Amino acid sequence: MNRTLTINGSEKTFADSQWPVSVADLLGKLQIDQATVVAEIDGQIVERNRFSETPLHHGQQIELIRFVGGG
Amino acid sequence: MKTFTPPNPGAFFLYRGAEMTPPVFFELKQSVVGIAGLGGLGSNVAMALTRLKTGTLILVDFDRVEADNLNRQNYFHDQIGRFKVDATMDNLRRIYPDAELEGHKVRLTPESIVKLFARADVIAECFDRADQKQMITETVLAKMPGKVIVSVSGLAGWGGSNEIVTRQVSDRLILIGDGVSGIGPGIPLTAPRVGVAAYHQANAIVEVLMHRKMSFAARSKS
Repeated sequence: MNRTLTINGSEKTFADSQWPVSVADLLGKLQIDQATVVAEIDGQIVERNRFSETPLHHGQQIELIRFVGGG
Repeated sequence: MKTFTPPNPGAFFLYRGAEMTPPVFFELKQSVVGIAGLGGLGSNVAMALTRLKTGTLILVDFDRVEADNLNRQNYFHDQIGRFKVDATMDNLRRIYPDAELEGHKVRLTPESIVKLFARADVIAECFDRADQKQMITETVLAKMPGKVIVSVSGLAGWGGSNEIVTRQVSDRLILIGDGVSGIGPGIPLTAPRVGVAAYHQANAIVEVLMHRKMSFAARSKS
């Protein structure tokens, strides 16, 4: 059965075999550097040091705020 | 363009003795703004907020002015070698000698962010490095309930002024920038484009302080 996540407003569907087991796994699949992203799940901040231990569930709304250098 | 109606018309007044200077607003005068980093963003945000007589600025930076900062940061040749906190405070007091400023020459960590910005209404993320931007944004959102942070991502290069936007991500996070233009080989930081972002940032801070709610949500693009 396919499961979905809404990432920055866009719905993304994953086959069971592709389902990200954690926030860290999702960022790896999206090729996003963990050190430069703030993650929010259903309106709650998930701190970077908990990315690996935070599981994902079907239907969650995920906001990934990405930073690039310069200031 | 929005017309501003003062919430309390009696609460604003002109700067004493200077008819042409902008009105000073009671709400700004009562406010405290934390500025994390005094580089291209922070040194310019501090200037803009000082000109409006924003109540108190808490200025934090561990670094000294270097020659190659002068291409975009609000410092002068004779300030090379000085702590940015000291140079910024001097520059701001040349605008208004009575500006209320608090300076800290420290490298910010999650612990010191919570401590030094405890009385700030709004915090401006003015760092250079992406991981530092991440660190303060996460810290404020996770550990400082009620605080608003205005962060910046994507301002390198030149041109494309209109690609730099102000976006309300949540009721406590406002994100400025084009989201993609990081510093890299062949992509320098330039005074005009960093300035566009810095003034977006200052303008968003003023809007938060004046309204204490995100009135620009409706006209934010996404």
